[in-house]
Amino acid sequence: MAEFIERAKFSCALGGALTTIAGIPRVVPIVHASGGCAAALSGTYNLASGYRGTGYCGGTMIPTTNISENHIVFGGEERLEEQIENSLEILDGDLFIVVTGCQVEIIGDDAVNVARRFRDRNVIGANTPGFLGNTFQGYDAVLNAIISEVIEASEEKEEKVVNILGVVPGHDVFYRGNLDEIVLLLSKIGVKANTFFGTGESIASIRQYGKAVLNLLFSGQAGVAPAKLFQELHNIPFISVDVPVGPTGTEEFLYRVGKELKIDKASIDKVIREERKEYYSFFERIVDIYSDMDFQRYALIAADSYYAFSLTRFLANDLGWIPHLTAINDIDDVNDREEYLSKFNSLTSETKPTVIFEEHAGAILNELRKTWPNNNNQKYYDAFNAAFVVGSGIERSLAEKLGAGFLSVAFPVSNRVVLNKGYTGFRGGLTLVEDLISQLVAAR
Amino acid sequence: MSNSSYVNSLTYNYLTSDAPPTREERIGVCHAFCGSCGELKDGLKSGCAQLQNRRFSQSGGCQLTLAVGIVSSLTNVVMIIHSPLGCCSNFVGSGGLRKTMRASKGKVDEDFIWLHTNLNELDVVQGGIDKLRKTILYAEKEYHPEAIIIANGCVPGIIGDDIDSLVTELSDRISAKIVPVHCEGFKSKYVASGYDSAYHGILRHLINPAQKYEKVIPIIDRDLKEEYRISRTVNIFNVGSNSNGDEVELSRLVSALGLIPRVLPLHSSLGDLERIGEAALNVSICATHDDYLLGHLKERFGTDYLIDTLPIGIKNTNQWIRRIAAYFHLEEEAEKLIKFENQQLIASLKPLKEALKGKSVFVGGGETRIITTAEFFYYLGMELVGVKAHNVDRFVEDILDDINEPGLVIEVAAGMPAEELNLLKRLQPDLYIGHLNANGWVSKLGIPNFPLFGQTLNYMGYSGAFELARKAVKILKNTNFFKNVSSNISLPLSKDWYERDPKENIKEAANY
Repeated sequence: MAEFIERAKFSCALGGALTTIAGIPRVVPIVHASGGCAAALSGTYNLASGYRGTGYCGGTMIPTTNISENHIVFGGEERLEEQIENSLEILDGDLFIVVTGCQVEIIGDDAVNVARRFRDRNVIGANTPGFLGNTFQGYDAVLNAIISEVIEASEEKEEKVVNILGVVPGHDVFYRGNLDEIVLLLSKIGVKANTFFGTGESIASIRQYGKAVLNLLFSGQAGVAPAKLFQELHNIPFISVDVPVGPTGTEEFLYRVGKELKIDKASIDKVIREERKEYYSFFERIVDIYSDMDFQRYALIAADSYYAFSLTRFLANDLGWIPHLTAINDIDDVNDREEYLSKFNSLTSETKPTVIFEEHAGAILNELRKTWPNNNNQKYYDAFNAAFVVGSGIERSLAEKLGAGFLSVAFPVSNRVVLNKGYTGFRGGLTLVEDLISQLVAAR
Repeated sequence: MSNSSYVNSLTYNYLTSDAPPTREERIGVCHAFCGSCGELKDGLKSGCAQLQNRRFSQSGGCQLTLAVGIVSSLTNVVMIIHSPLGCCSNFVGSGGLRKTMRASKGKVDEDFIWLHTNLNELDVVQGGIDKLRKTILYAEKEYHPEAIIIANGCVPGIIGDDIDSLVTELSDRISAKIVPVHCEGFKSKYVASGYDSAYHGILRHLINPAQKYEKVIPIIDRDLKEEYRISRTVNIFNVGSNSNGDEVELSRLVSALGLIPRVLPLHSSLGDLERIGEAALNVSICATHDDYLLGHLKERFGTDYLIDTLPIGIKNTNQWIRRIAAYFHLEEEAEKLIKFENQQLIASLKPLKEALKGKSVFVGGGETRIITTAEFFYYLGMELVGVKAHNVDRFVEDILDDINEPGLVIEVAAGMPAEELNLLKRLQPDLYIGHLNANGWVSKLGIPNFPLFGQTLNYMGYSGAFELARKAVKILKNTNFFKNVSSNISLPLSKDWYERDPKENIKEAANY
C-alpha cells in the first residue's frame, strides 16, 4: 500500500527506466510523455547520483514526444510514430527503448505496440508510467523488455557464467565501481560475470546473456521480476545474495556463489586468504590513529535494503563500530520485512542494532529518540556520542542535529562526486574505511 | 511604464479561477523557430512563428519545476508534491542547496521539507484526494509550517482531483495557510506558464495585507515617516536565476538614487509578502518571469510597475537605472550616478576587452537574458554569431527591433540540443554561454563555455558586467578541458544530422 512519503529517496518508474537505460552504452530512450519529464528525471540522477551526468543520450538530449493538452484529448500515438521515425534518423544508437509517462498511459496510448512496428530497426518498448511505482519498477520494466526482446535464447549454457541483477545504475550511486569489483572478485574464483552496466558491457554483449547458468540477485526490491523472467524465458535460475562490502560480506558471497556453481572450496579458501592478507596490510595503516584517537563510533545507518544490511554488517563485524539503529526505507511487504530482519542475526558485535522500516526521512530522528534515553538535563548523562551517520545525502541534517560524523552512501548522494569508486569486495571495504575515517580527520 | 503596448493590452484579474490561463492563451508565444533574426521578426508579426512545432523534439522543461522553484523558496513552508514520485524528485539533488542559498542571502537557515503524495495506479482510478488530505495533516502535525504549498503534477490534473475544495475543507482545521499551485506539465508547452501558476497561488492565498485599525490618537510624526518610506520604496522582483551578488548590486544602485530597495518575493517570509503592496514602484528584472505578478499588483494595490530590460551589461544597466529614476523624477541624480559608475567600469574593462577582441560568441537561454548578455559581449568587442532563446514573445519585440543584424542566427527552443549543436558545429564560436543543462553538450562538442547564471555568480549591474567579462577571459585562459572532452567523448547525433539544415526540423503546427 503506497502511502505519501516525506522526502522520498526515489524517482518514479519512468525515472528508474531512464537511469537504467543511461547505464548501458549507446542505448537511447524515446520518451512518450510531456516535454519536461525526461530531462527532469534524468536530471535527478545527474545531480543526486554523485554527479553521474546525464550520459550518452540523457537530459535535454532525450527524444520526447512532448505530449500536450491536445494529445490528451485526441491521443498521441501518431506523434510517437513521427518521433520514433525522426529519432532513428537523427540519433546514433545500438538500441532504442520507447518508455512512457503518466499522461499517455492514462489516455490509453499503446506505445509498446507502436514501438513494435519498428522492431526491425532496433526499437523496443516498455510501459513505465510514473504511477506504476518507484525507480525499481522502471528498472524492472526496462530489464524485462531487454530480457524478452534483446537477449537471444540459447539452449547451450556456458559453465561458470553468471548474470548480475538488482544493481540499479544511478540508484546505486557507486554501481560502476561496485560491479567492476564484483567482476574482478568472481574472476578470481573462475567465474565470469555479466553485469549489464559494468565497464565493457554493450548491447552486443548483453545479447549473449542467455548463455549464463546462474543469475545473482543483489536486491529483494529490484530485479525480482527480471530474475523470474530470465528463469521462464532463458531457463536460468537465480539466487539472492547481499552486496558484499568488506571481508565478512565478501567471504560469504564467494562461498555462496562457489557452492552454487560447485567450485572447489579449497580454491576459494586460497583466494580469500590472499585477499584478506592484502586487506589487512592496508588496514594496518589506520590502526594507530584509530587507537590513539578512539575512532570507534555509535553507528546510525539509514539506507535502502540494498545497502542497509551490508553496511551495518561491515561496520559491526569488520570495523568494530557499535550498530545502534538501522533504518530501511524501501520494504513494504510484511514477509519481506521479516526475511530482511533475519539477516541481522549474523552480526557478531556484542550490541545488536534496532532495525526499523521507515519511509519518512524526517521520522528517523524520532525513532532514535525512542531507542536512547532522553537527556533530562541530569548531571551525568550517557549520551548518544561519539556517533556517525552512514546514510544518504538527506541524512546530512540529521547528522548535524546529532553532532555526528556523516558519510553519504545510499541514494541520493549530492555532496560528493563519484567516478570509479565502489564499496564492494575487500577493496571496497578499504575504500569505505578511507571515506569514514577521512571524515574524522578532515579538520586536522 | 513601458514603451510597448503589451502592458496595456494585458489584464490580470484571474483570481476567481483556480488556475491562471496558460501563456499560450494569455500572451501568445513562439517556441519553435530556426532561422535569421529578420525572418523571426516577420514571423512574429504575421503570427506564423507562433504556429510552429517540431518533427523531432527533445526534452525541455516542465512548468512544475519552475513553479515549485519559486514557492519552495519561501521561508518556513512545507512543499507537497501531489503526483507520482518522479515529479520534483530532483529535490534529492538540489534540496540541500536551500541552506546555502538562504545563508548567502543572510536568511534563517532551515531544512527543506517536502512530501510526495506518491500517487499509484489505484489512485489514478480512485482519485488522490484522500491521500493528499493525509499528507497535509501530517505536514501540519510534524512541522507546523506557516504555509503548506501543494504543487500538482499531470496525474491529478488529468483524473480531475478537486484540490481547491480540499483546501477549503481543511483551511479552518489547520493553522498553516494552504496554497494550491496548479502546474501540470502537459497544460503548457511554454514552461514560463509555471511562473504564473506559482504567482497565482501566492496572490490568491498569501497576499493579504495585514488589517490596521484606525488610531484614536494619530502619531503624526510616525505616520508621515511611514508614508514617506512607502513613497520611496522600490520592490525589486528577484528570480531563481539571480545570485545574492546580483541582489546586493541592484540594491546598491537603487539606494544610490536615494530610494529604498526591497528584494522579494523569492526567499521571502509570509510577513514580507503581506506587505508587498507597501511600495511606490515594482521593478522587474525579467519580464518573462513576473509580468503576471506585477500586473496583478498594479490592478490590486495601484502600485505602478516597470518591466523594461534586464540590468545586464553597461547599456542595459544604464537604461534600467534611468527608467527607475524617471518614475521618481530623479533624472539628474541618475545621470550623475551613471557617469560615475560607467567611468570606473569602462576603465577597468579595458584589459579584458583587449583579451576578448575579435573572439566570437554564441548565447543561449531565456529571451531577455541572452539578448542583453549578447549586447554586452558585442560591446566588449566580440563577434556575435548567434543566439538561442527558450521562447520568444511580445516582451522582447522591442529588443529584437533594436538588433540591426537581420542575418543573425536565431534558434527558438527550450532544450533541443540537436538543433543547437548542429548550428554550433557550423558557427564554431570561440565561446558559448548557455543555460543550465545545455553546457555539457557544448563541452562535448569542444566549445569553451560557461553558464548563463549561477548561485555564486554576480551577473547583473555594473559589478556583474565586470564579473561577466572577467569570467569570459578566464575560461579562455585554458581550454584543454573542452579539447580533451570533445576528442574522447562522443555525442549521440548522427553524421547525417550535422549535414542537414536544422530548419528542416520545424513544421507548421495544427494548433497553438
